[in-house]
Amino acid sequence: MHKGYLCLVLHTHLPFVRHPEHDDFLEEDWLYEAITETYIPLLGVFEKLAEDGVDFRVTVSLTPSLISMLSDQLLQERYLKHINRLIELAHKEIERTAWQPQFQHLAIMYLNHFCKARQTFEKYNRNLVAGFKNLQDAGKIEIITCGATHGYFPLMDVCRDSIKAQVRVAASHYENVFGRRPRGIWLPECGYYPGHDEILKETGIKFFFSDAHGVLHGTPRPKYGTFAPVYCKGTGVACFARDLESSKQVWSSIEGYPGDYNYREFYRDIGFDLEYDYIKPYIHPDGVRINTGIKYYRITGTGDHKEPYNPEWAKARAAEHAGNFMFNRQKQVEYLHDFLHKKPIIVSPYDAELYGHWWYEGPMWLDFLIRKIAFDQKEIRMITPSEYLAENPRNQVITPSMSSWGWKGYSEMWLQGSTDWIYRHLHSASERMTELAKSFPDTNGLHRRALNQALRELLLAQSSDWAFIMGTGTHTSYAVRRTKDHLLRFTRLYEDIKSNSLDEAWLSDIEYKDNIFPNIDYRVHQ
Amino acid sequence: MAALRRIKDKIKKVIEKKKKIKVAKASSAKIKKKSIIKQIIKKEPLRKEQEILGQEEVAVEKTKFSHPEIPRPSLRIMSHDLPWGYGKDKIVLQVRDPRWLHAYWEVTNNTWDRFKRDLQGKFNGAKMTLRVYDVTNIVFNGANANSFFDIELSYGANNWYIDTNGPGRFWCVDLGLKLPNGEFITIVRSNTVCTPLEGPSWITDEEWMIPEEMFGRLYGLGFGLGQTSPLGKAWQERVKKLLFSGALASPGMASMASPVKKVPKERKFWLVVDCELIVYGATEPDAKVTVQNREIKLRPDGTFTLRFALPNGEQVIPVKAVSSDELEERTITPIVTRETKTASLLKEAVQKSE
Repeated sequence: MHKGYLCLVLHTHLPFVRHPEHDDFLEEDWLYEAITETYIPLLGVFEKLAEDGVDFRVTVSLTPSLISMLSDQLLQERYLKHINRLIELAHKEIERTAWQPQFQHLAIMYLNHFCKARQTFEKYNRNLVAGFKNLQDAGKIEIITCGATHGYFPLMDVCRDSIKAQVRVAASHYENVFGRRPRGIWLPECGYYPGHDEILKETGIKFFFSDAHGVLHGTPRPKYGTFAPVYCKGTGVACFARDLESSKQVWSSIEGYPGDYNYREFYRDIGFDLEYDYIKPYIHPDGVRINTGIKYYRITGTGDHKEPYNPEWAKARAAEHAGNFMFNRQKQVEYLHDFLHKKPIIVSPYDAELYGHWWYEGPMWLDFLIRKIAFDQKEIRMITPSEYLAENPRNQVITPSMSSWGWKGYSEMWLQGSTDWIYRHLHSASERMTELAKSFPDTNGLHRRALNQALRELLLAQSSDWAFIMGTGTHTSYAVRRTKDHLLRFTRLYEDIKSNSLDEAWLSDIEYKDNIFPNIDYRVHQ
Repeated sequence: MAALRRIKDKIKKVIEKKKKIKVAKASSAKIKKKSIIKQIIKKEPLRKEQEILGQEEVAVEKTKFSHPEIPRPSLRIMSHDLPWGYGKDKIVLQVRDPRWLHAYWEVTNNTWDRFKRDLQGKFNGAKMTLRVYDVTNIVFNGANANSFFDIELSYGANNWYIDTNGPGRFWCVDLGLKLPNGEFITIVRSNTVCTPLEGPSWITDEEWMIPEEMFGRLYGLGFGLGQTSPLGKAWQERVKKLLFSGALASPGMASMASPVKKVPKERKFWLVVDCELIVYGATEPDAKVTVQNREIKLRPDGTFTLRFALPNGEQVIPVKAVSSDELEERTITPIVTRETKTASLLKEAVQKSE
């Protein structure tokens, strides 16, 4: 009989980046890389598990902006072009490394990997969301939603109408895609501020996640710490707290698995390593070197010297690490079970892009872990939050504390010297959007299109990713530009709507560029 | 008065402005992504003390956006920039963390003119000031705050980070003018915010009672600090120190990107050399060509090019062409040897001159 639960959560998100006005746009590669290295490998793992009859549960948050990109025809075509180019490059690499068997077998591995990616992509008619939906319909994964464009809610508290819009747009988008309302939400950046659960409740959302201190510092004290969900006072929306012990094993730079010397080195990519004229067709058209995804080395050690990657060694380590993770969860659950006299739930959320993109062996580790849990032990049962709540409906009521999983646990990642200037504009735009929604309770034609587009622009400006990138201090110009572009478009729409001087050609142009959420209704913003 | 002295002390502590932050940022910009991988592979348990909540999440999330910057002269043409203001008197207060708030504001020219008119001579001696009220558990009416302190603003400031040193309390801020005689005139009042607690709540739930000791242990466990823990307060202090504030007095990414202590600066000079070999040729377009016994594809004009990474040692590369009627055969065999010697030198003079 099991003694506790493990709730694995993969937060899957990229900001909406789509530039039909350019043939090739560097930042779109974020999506293409994640498709090849994370989304397809994860789908592959889950499908194979289901096919092999392994019983498992994983919670996956697919953000509305990511779903929108994965379902977008233009980006799908571009991904196909991208993967075809990679396949071509892999062929060339096999030839080029003919006298270096230690690299040639890796080139072959990449070729297989890319071909498999293309095959999977085509199997789902280019829309990977279908793959995730199948798994949800089969009861293996629970897909939850997120803020429509991943706005960071604690810094939107002064304009809650925008939080409402983020949640409402996300919920109806989810419903369109998956055929039912979302039960849970991943609050962007795990950012919770007391009272925001009211907005979740109103949208029919039953649970969300917070970082450990969100619950541990809640009032009154949580009797079971982070090992049972709590209901928010006043709303009854459940809050599941992240378990830091299991998180650290994967995330940590010090104890974490991904730093193992046998694992693949992320920073040695042939896009940077190989001779310029040879690699030029596969890097950015402007000639700037970028990652291609073909990487031949393992981490090796602390120095700059790197040894060739050995997939067999890496696989063995992934199996070992999966065993270690499971062993530690077994011990944790046994201890907590005796200590609490209750079955604890261990909530382990990760950025999905950690798996495969950053930690190449991550999907393989996940596969080993899930199989081991299914066959090699009895203490832990994998569970989704919905199932947990159905089985354990009685939980303590508290008010969780403001928190996020960002740097230093609160809002500083998004509110610091390089980013604080954005909030006066974002908040003003939000106030104006509410004003518009209230002054035009019912409208149609061009006016309605403009109002809907205004909300799209506002939501796009609110993506926490822009402030995040500005906060990291490197390569910030795109993030600054996106923030400004959307705000400027919003401002112009606001002014044109108010003065009744809409320019249809311009409106059509920005509708074409920022085409997210085709069914949006501006009236949700109030 | 003790209260006044406390306020003064606070004002001293409070001043943290953009400039400071920019300095921290400038130094952080230099940190290459390489440093992240270096941290990851460093296996020094001693460094544990330096770990900050969320830094791994940041490091990983950053790799999602791992691209160099491409110069783009005109991505999309924008004829104007964002406005300086929105024509409203307004101050907005936001919570950064359990101690710090951020306020930004805007005061319209009309409002300034009005104050100038009303205050006349006194206006010039007036100082722009933030008055920060502790409004915990009260309905604030402007005069009944639990306590307050003032921050004198530097000229032209339009936002400020405020150190309240008060987790778990409610705050409200007035932007105003402080006259030479000490009188404070409010220009505009902010929204009210609540800072989160920095540790666990003191309030327990009768129905869900938990002994102090047990909670202490759960608290440490929740932060992943293990089972063999001293109980109660000791954990809380450790958590606070390690995860939230620690040695991190100033914001900025520098501390995020380098929990590993900086080693004394080494010279960063480096050199990488590798060789590739291009084998190319031409024959009749319909001939069959093999290179090292492997058939290759000809271009429509009968030419071909092959490119190999060239390791050390000898490569014998027979290139054989067979005519389409298979009556004629030619073989040419380049033999290439690569040898690599390395030498390095660090001149004394260079070392001394630094």
